Amino acid sequence: MRTRAVEVPSSLDAQLRLWIYRHFVEVCRAPSVIEIASRFGITSKEVEEVLGRLEKEADALVLIPGTRNIWMAEPFSAVPTSFVVRSGNRQWWGNCIWDGLAILALLGLDGTVSTACPQSAMPLAVTVADRTLKDVQGVVHIAVPAADWWCDIGFT
Amino acid sequence: MSLFRSEEDVHAWCEERQRAAGAIFDVATLWRLAAVWYDDRLDLNWKRRTIGERQAILDAVGLSGPFWRLTSS
Repeated sequence: MRTRAVEVPSSLDAQLRLWIYRHFVEVCRAPSVIEIASRFGITSKEVEEVLGRLEKEADALVLIPGTRNIWMAEPFSAVPTSFVVRSGNRQWWGNCIWDGLAILALLGLDGTVSTACPQSAMPLAVTVADRTLKDVQGVVHIAVPAADWWCDIGFT
Repeated sequence: MSLFRSEEDVHAWCEERQRAAGAIFDVATLWRLAAVWYDDRLDLNWKRRTIGERQAILDAVGLSGPFWRLTSS
């Protein structure tokens, strides 16, 4: 006799986390608490509780300090940064050059990450096509050792 | 993590801020890292990878040594 696999429904937290990512992908920005509440048919307070758990317990996203607004759902940034990702007519912000490239990799898209050298201010761009680097400028610098990345996720 | 025009620009930027340079490496290495680090983020039941799993990714793309250890111990 074979045992039938039982599909366990995914938790609200998991569904909400994924929807936030899909919103970033499709709408190119983070959803607001109100938008999330409307989508899931729950109250803003309940959304804020989920967002708090996703940040503190699941380490799944970063909220703007002192708020329940999304700052980062890595590799996406909800706020403007110096790492602009463009693919076709869509545009996102990455949290750093790593995250900028990761957005194109995650979505399997051709595109360009544009930034500027922090020292010379020279505009720099990295282009990806067919999941391959096509046009590369510059060198990468990470200032903070890996063990300290999460001490201040806004600066690495 | 930023993109600089050259290694010289990295060192000048660090000197102006009186801080030691971190790690400098090429964009091709970063692309290999970026391609796998977040590749599970669109999975419904995503869970953050363990430190060991993340360390293995860094090692696999050639980012190894004390600077790249995810734990200080």
